[in-house]
Amino acid sequence: MAQSRREFLLGAGGAGLSAATMGTLSNALTAFPANAADTSGYKALVCLFLFGGLDNHDTVLPFDQASYDRYAEIRGSLLSLYGNQPGGNSRARDRLLPLTPTNAASFGGREFALPEEMAGIHGLFQAGNAAIIGNVGPLIEPVTRTTFENESALLPKRLFSHNDQQATWMSNAPEGAQFGWGGLFADNVLSGAPTTDPFSAIATFNNSLFLSGQTAQAYQVSTGGAAEIEVLRRFEDGQFDAASTQAFQALRTHFAAANYAGANLISRDVAAALGTSLTTNETYNTAIEGVAPFTTAFPENFLGQQLSTVAQTISVRDTLGVSRQIYFVGIGGFDTHSNQAQDLPGLLGQIDGAVSAFFAAMQELGIENDVTLFTASDFGRTLAINGDGTDHGWGGHHFVVGGAVAGQTIYGALPVADFNHAQDAGGGRLIPSLSVEQMAAPLGRWFGLNDSEIAAALPGLAAFGGSEPGFI
Amino acid sequence: MIRQKKAGALGKALVAAIGAIATVSCSDSGSDPAPSPVATPAPTPAPSPAPAPTPPPGGTTQPETIVAFASVESTGRFVTQATFGPTETDLTDLTGTSASEWYRAELTKAPSLALPFVQAFIAEDELNNPNQDFSFPASNSPGMAFWRNAVTGDDQLRQRMAFALSQILVVSSADDELFGLPETVAHYMDILTRNAFGNYRDLLEEVTYSPAMGIYLTYLQNQAGDPFTGRVPDENYAREIMQLFTIGLVQLDANGDPVLGADGEPIETYTNDDITGLARVFTGLSFGGPEFFFDFSTLDEDALFSSMEIFPEFHSDLEKSFLGTTIPANTDAATSIDQALDTLFNHPNMAPFLARQLIQRFVTSDPTSAYVGRVASAFETGTFTLPDGVAVGTGERGDLTATLAAVLFDEDARRDPAQQPNTFGKVREPIMRFVHWARAFDATTVTPEFTLGLWDTSGSGELLQHPYRSPSVFNFYRPGYVAPGTESGAAGLTVPELQLVNASSIVGYVNFLSFFGFELQQFAVDNDLVDAVDAVSSFRPDYSEEIAQADDPENLVDHLDERLLYGRLSTESRQGMIDVISLIPLENEFDPNYDGPRLRAQVAVVMAMTTPDYLVQH
Repeated sequence: MAQSRREFLLGAGGAGLSAATMGTLSNALTAFPANAADTSGYKALVCLFLFGGLDNHDTVLPFDQASYDRYAEIRGSLLSLYGNQPGGNSRARDRLLPLTPTNAASFGGREFALPEEMAGIHGLFQAGNAAIIGNVGPLIEPVTRTTFENESALLPKRLFSHNDQQATWMSNAPEGAQFGWGGLFADNVLSGAPTTDPFSAIATFNNSLFLSGQTAQAYQVSTGGAAEIEVLRRFEDGQFDAASTQAFQALRTHFAAANYAGANLISRDVAAALGTSLTTNETYNTAIEGVAPFTTAFPENFLGQQLSTVAQTISVRDTLGVSRQIYFVGIGGFDTHSNQAQDLPGLLGQIDGAVSAFFAAMQELGIENDVTLFTASDFGRTLAINGDGTDHGWGGHHFVVGGAVAGQTIYGALPVADFNHAQDAGGGRLIPSLSVEQMAAPLGRWFGLNDSEIAAALPGLAAFGGSEPGFI
Repeated sequence: MIRQKKAGALGKALVAAIGAIATVSCSDSGSDPAPSPVATPAPTPAPSPAPAPTPPPGGTTQPETIVAFASVESTGRFVTQATFGPTETDLTDLTGTSASEWYRAELTKAPSLALPFVQAFIAEDELNNPNQDFSFPASNSPGMAFWRNAVTGDDQLRQRMAFALSQILVVSSADDELFGLPETVAHYMDILTRNAFGNYRDLLEEVTYSPAMGIYLTYLQNQAGDPFTGRVPDENYAREIMQLFTIGLVQLDANGDPVLGADGEPIETYTNDDITGLARVFTGLSFGGPEFFFDFSTLDEDALFSSMEIFPEFHSDLEKSFLGTTIPANTDAATSIDQALDTLFNHPNMAPFLARQLIQRFVTSDPTSAYVGRVASAFETGTFTLPDGVAVGTGERGDLTATLAAVLFDEDARRDPAQQPNTFGKVREPIMRFVHWARAFDATTVTPEFTLGLWDTSGSGELLQHPYRSPSVFNFYRPGYVAPGTESGAAGLTVPELQLVNASSIVGYVNFLSFFGFELQQFAVDNDLVDAVDAVSSFRPDYSEEIAQADDPENLVDHLDERLLYGRLSTESRQGMIDVISLIPLENEFDPNYDGPRLRAQVAVVMAMTTPDYLVQH
């Protein structure tokens, strides 16, 4: 009976329904000019968001003896808690995985390392398939410790607040923002705007801001495939004659809210969501049906399954008819105010396992040069500790992974693990050396956006004088 | 004959195939042996029917249209806003009576609490070894207590208010530590329930000393700073009590609108220095017992479900400066906490900040400024005059009885839905929809402990919402959420619950509702956690009235419109329901097990509760 569902969908009924519900949405939005972006070949960006605020100081650690010793002094009680973990102190210097960046000379003898649970990403870095973007975070203009302390610099709104800094990373504005730069990127590569292509922007984690453009909208897919209304499927499978087919189609019309004509804006939004989700889920499941599994095994945890779903979806890109895609995946738990020694290594290990598997799966597809993954997070954390954890910071260190990445390099800055330096906003909260938009711009250019499209999607970029890290 | 046989096959295929959903939705989720049955709940006390309809006494200036219980429809609407949804009895008994009297009567009802259920569950749970971590079922028992009280509690207004407060003063058993401490979570739930009609200042204090909040926002065992090691107090609670529980991020006027500075931008209420100062206040608290750095085995017997204790030697003796208040050096913990809470509670943002969120939880997602201002005023004056002219509230700032009355009896809330602007209303919370179903159809055996699907409804394949289990302290959705790419978003409306609406969760809700709506519990099989004999009878609806009208689809749909949607079903949705129901055959002489009338009732219920008209309350 699955065959009949496909036929139904591809027939006039499905197309008409889809046009009706999509029309509702796009009518409310301003028409967007046709794009000039380069959409040849295939490219995908994957944003891996680390909710809660990743402790940058406990992810890229100082490794040369002098820097490590000072770090161990400042974080002494936290390191002693690491020592109490089963398996001993994973932050002991001799257990860290040293990095040998091609630009080591620019750090003046300072060396860096990743913790042992990040062996996979460490390997990708050393092999030139991953880079580190040091001390990146939301900025409106360049800020120094002096301009921060004398309050002469323009600062992003609501610094240090989770929800607002998540939104700022995604959209350059605090909570309530409407457009994320992932969605604005997608706007430029959608064909035939203002209609939306639901498979240009896909989320596996419940958050839609990053992928919301003027036309692009996040399509939410669960890790087991797109959701399917069970009762509707029973009606579909129960078709035996004209009446039962009529019943199925009437029920489908109901679940798509296809005839809804109410005036209330919230009801209209819910009706539109019902219709869009039904048709998009059906198309997605039809495309994904029978897709060959990867040889690469993904971790069983939620993040592993999310990236597995992304990899599978990428594998049916031709069936879905898309040449540019932006994905949003996420993992929570990084707000390590307490129990950091107990909790953080496991989280970093989950990232490492999932990202390594994802890169391997892209190699299987032969498109590792066409897919780029990057991490993002609310903020970095304090270097100072509060006993068994750390508090909210600002700038943090992030990873970019993919065959197209100019890897084995540390871009941006890795300020010394100490207090009162030029990038210290207090307590070792880092004043970012690079803005989020400076990190986003090269990703957008690689994705196919031209200068004016980049300027429109990242309006704050101009304040940084055209300086962009050339990591891709 | 032939037509009937074929048509009957549809129904048969449905029943058989729907059975398959049961095995999917109720799959085995653990390997522990089954828990012993726990005591069945006390039957719901029958609401005492009010005497003959009495119009509210005169002598007030309230217009006639404010009479909330004037008709079955208006009763349904008011009770939908104020409780977990009207039962049949509510609709018949309250219509024609005084809503003011109802409100006052609700204030006097005894609170239905969570801790007694949780402790009884733990005591009877054979999986629990007192020397080990709580069992998986025990860890889920606070949620079971919630479902029981929400569905069957006679103190509906109180339960609903406690649930609203739980989405503002958030703790979550998604946190591993709290998941493992069910009594601590239940103790917290009861703080909200007991204080639901009390004073917000008292509530803030109980919350601050609660071990659940201490664990969740990581200030249990928070120590004074140490200048020699550079250790500083944990800032988590200091930040979130300001941002989320009391004043918010930007200065507000009396109506909850941001005050703009000279640059045209909102003015932030605090800086990180205020947080650093306030963080010193919340130091020196830990579980009751002999030691700050406790060992669970030596804690006081009731420590897990009692207020945290102060350990003076771990409290900061430095000066604590924040929001223009300075608590001198060497002030003790209790005094410091008292002064800090007073400062926050008396901040001009407090009333409008809370008022707007309470309105969002009960009535509408994007309230007018004037509505926020009126509710904020009730919070500040501590008094509100009900439509019958009787005032409620103690007259003290922070009185929640007055505040809640102002939310529910406001002219914006009570205006006829047909007269409301197209921006009015809210998406019904997924939890509320399920509880409403159970109440509307008088689910007889309310035993969530026997319905595995209710132990965790957080997934996008379920409700994407589970009581006291939000993803973070920022709740399931944000009060300032403006949904991207929507018509409400284009109009600038804040619609928090739309944060839970996406292509996965919409379908998840339909399937979750279908499990109960189609009575799929009957297909339950034994598993390691619940015996089939218990599962099959748990949460079974009484559809007798619907089945009786199954041969008349129009009547059936109109009946559900009144029962579930207080008459708000649109013409299009109504016709869509009639179209489907009419096509479901009533009988099949070749299949003695086919029950067409029941199938019609089930389909009608699931369809009614998945219309845009139902999903958004106006």
